Amino acid sequence: MAERELQGTGATPRSGVGTVVWYGQDIELPDADDVTVDEAVERDRFADAVETARAELETEREATAERVGEEEAAVFDAHVQFLEDPAIEDAVDTEIAAGAPAPNAVDAAFGSHIEQFEGMNGRMAERADDLRDVRDRLLRLLTDGDRVDLADLPEGSVVLAERLTPSDTAQLDPDTVAGFATVTGGRTSHAAIFARSLALPAVVGVGDELDAIETGADVVVNGDAGTLLIDPDEDERSAAATDSGADVVEERVETTDGREIEVAANVGRPAELGPAADRGADGVGLYRTEFLFLDRESPPSEDEQYEAVREALDTFPEGRVVVRTLDIGGDKRIPYLDLPEEENPFLGERGVRRSLGPDADLFVTQLRALLRAAADGEGDLAVMFPLVASIEELEGALDALDDAAADLDDAGVEYERPEVGVMVETPSAVFVAEELAARVDFLSIGTNDLTQYVMAADRENERVGDLHDPTYPGVVRAIHRTVEAAHARDAWVGMCGEMAGDPDLTELLVGLGLDELSMSAVTVPDVKAAVSETSYSTASERAEDARNAATRSAVTNSQQ
Amino acid sequence: MSLERTVTLVPEAGLHARPASEFVEAVNDHEAEISIGRPGEDPVQANSMIAVTSLGIEHGDEVHLVADGEDAEAALDELERILTTPEEEAAT
Repeated sequence: MAERELQGTGATPRSGVGTVVWYGQDIELPDADDVTVDEAVERDRFADAVETARAELETEREATAERVGEEEAAVFDAHVQFLEDPAIEDAVDTEIAAGAPAPNAVDAAFGSHIEQFEGMNGRMAERADDLRDVRDRLLRLLTDGDRVDLADLPEGSVVLAERLTPSDTAQLDPDTVAGFATVTGGRTSHAAIFARSLALPAVVGVGDELDAIETGADVVVNGDAGTLLIDPDEDERSAAATDSGADVVEERVETTDGREIEVAANVGRPAELGPAADRGADGVGLYRTEFLFLDRESPPSEDEQYEAVREALDTFPEGRVVVRTLDIGGDKRIPYLDLPEEENPFLGERGVRRSLGPDADLFVTQLRALLRAAADGEGDLAVMFPLVASIEELEGALDALDDAAADLDDAGVEYERPEVGVMVETPSAVFVAEELAARVDFLSIGTNDLTQYVMAADRENERVGDLHDPTYPGVVRAIHRTVEAAHARDAWVGMCGEMAGDPDLTELLVGLGLDELSMSAVTVPDVKAAVSETSYSTASERAEDARNAATRSAVTNSQQ
Repeated sequence: MSLERTVTLVPEAGLHARPASEFVEAVNDHEAEISIGRPGEDPVQANSMIAVTSLGIEHGDEVHLVADGEDAEAALDELERILTTPEEEAAT
């Protein structure tokens, strides 16, 4: 047994074992009484440090945008502004004039502002972190302080830190770093998101107890259980070392008795396409098109959308790319679209409801781009409509697709009609699944929203987090009913919610009859491995037990 | 030429992080001297991210802008646009 186990929040379903490297600032300020300060020299030193810091931030911003994404990279813009803030500049100036060497002046100038933000709540307190990050960067440059070089760590390092900023995490090389753990942070912190996107074992929010682990200690980072094992024994060590995830399998996989299951990736931005292919995804089961509409002042043109979809199709020349048409509303907003303030946005004007209403023009443009891309891209395109609750909505969307095709026909533009499907996310869609399936090629079950609506449990509300679980019988039966309905109408049926990416549930989903599973790229190899070990006939029998179960625990027990 | 304007803040998240950053950037893009504050309270220099953020302006709060200089009107127009544009939330 390990000597001690610390509990935090798992950021990524991976374990790693390695040797601790503490990443702390440990900056020592000069003793101000011992130094003779030449004001002009200290001002120049400060100006030089600001200049270098800005250059570093710009480099790291680019690296982060490339490796993680534009949204995560935006935090560096705020850092640059803090760096150049006149309030800081004035304060540093005053301190130097009063006889402080540059590093002490910087420390004092930031100190009062950091305290001020720390005293505020929630998001404002995060600004204290940003300021600390900028201060420490300047102090390091001014004191030549030794600092662990995150970009050049020995193989098998586990990085421990009070917290890791986006600029820190962007430097970690997942090929050499075995994992990381931080004192602060939650599942949605930048560091945790980064860890997931790179399948790096990570535990965040361990608390001050983490400080007790010293550099050089051996630890297991279990990002699944959210634990940190100190001085693991051989068994624990090898369990962690072999849990680096299943090997990547490029080929399509089937069950032991020959049923092929397509294992695809959910993709939210173009930068994720390559990594998804590298992890062996057969295709894209959910391509969220919202990224095209964010971070800009006006909607993307038809050509821009065409190019983006083509890129996806060309990344998977042998596969299928399922593109979801614009899905906004609910918690998703876009500045230039005039979204209404609603009492219950999740029950409001979102998904296809907007495409058939206020965003009809955007919808037609998107459909034209999709039809054109289907003709020119290498892989097979499939298009699906989000949040459909009625046959009328589906028919409206299909009419819009017909209109877009007729336009292209008239204009003599080449296009191809893609496979068309519906996302099953509402209880109503489950109840009319057969009528929906009769009109389309496939159904794709979005378990995050379906669970939310079946269980009437807000997926963002921690107080009902326990109810937001797709292994409740109500949800299991909704999935089963959808699959039966689709198959009765010769439509294929996939799943693109979080549930699809849980290898512990693969057997259940295969047994319920799903043809395709789509998940974040990280877990594609694990699910492929799970499919290969599953017997479809056994899985079907166990799935029958699961859908006859009365309680969540009975569902879970049916799968053990 | 000194101009004043009172605006109600629209971004859900309040005047912090991205909207604040955009706001300060816009201030720096203009010649005019600009201050920002809650109506009736002491204003702060609008070119300081720290000062602007520390006002703790939340969604629905009123802010008072004063701009002094050549392009004061253009500056206020641009700042009002930023303060009244909803911020998009998570993309997934």
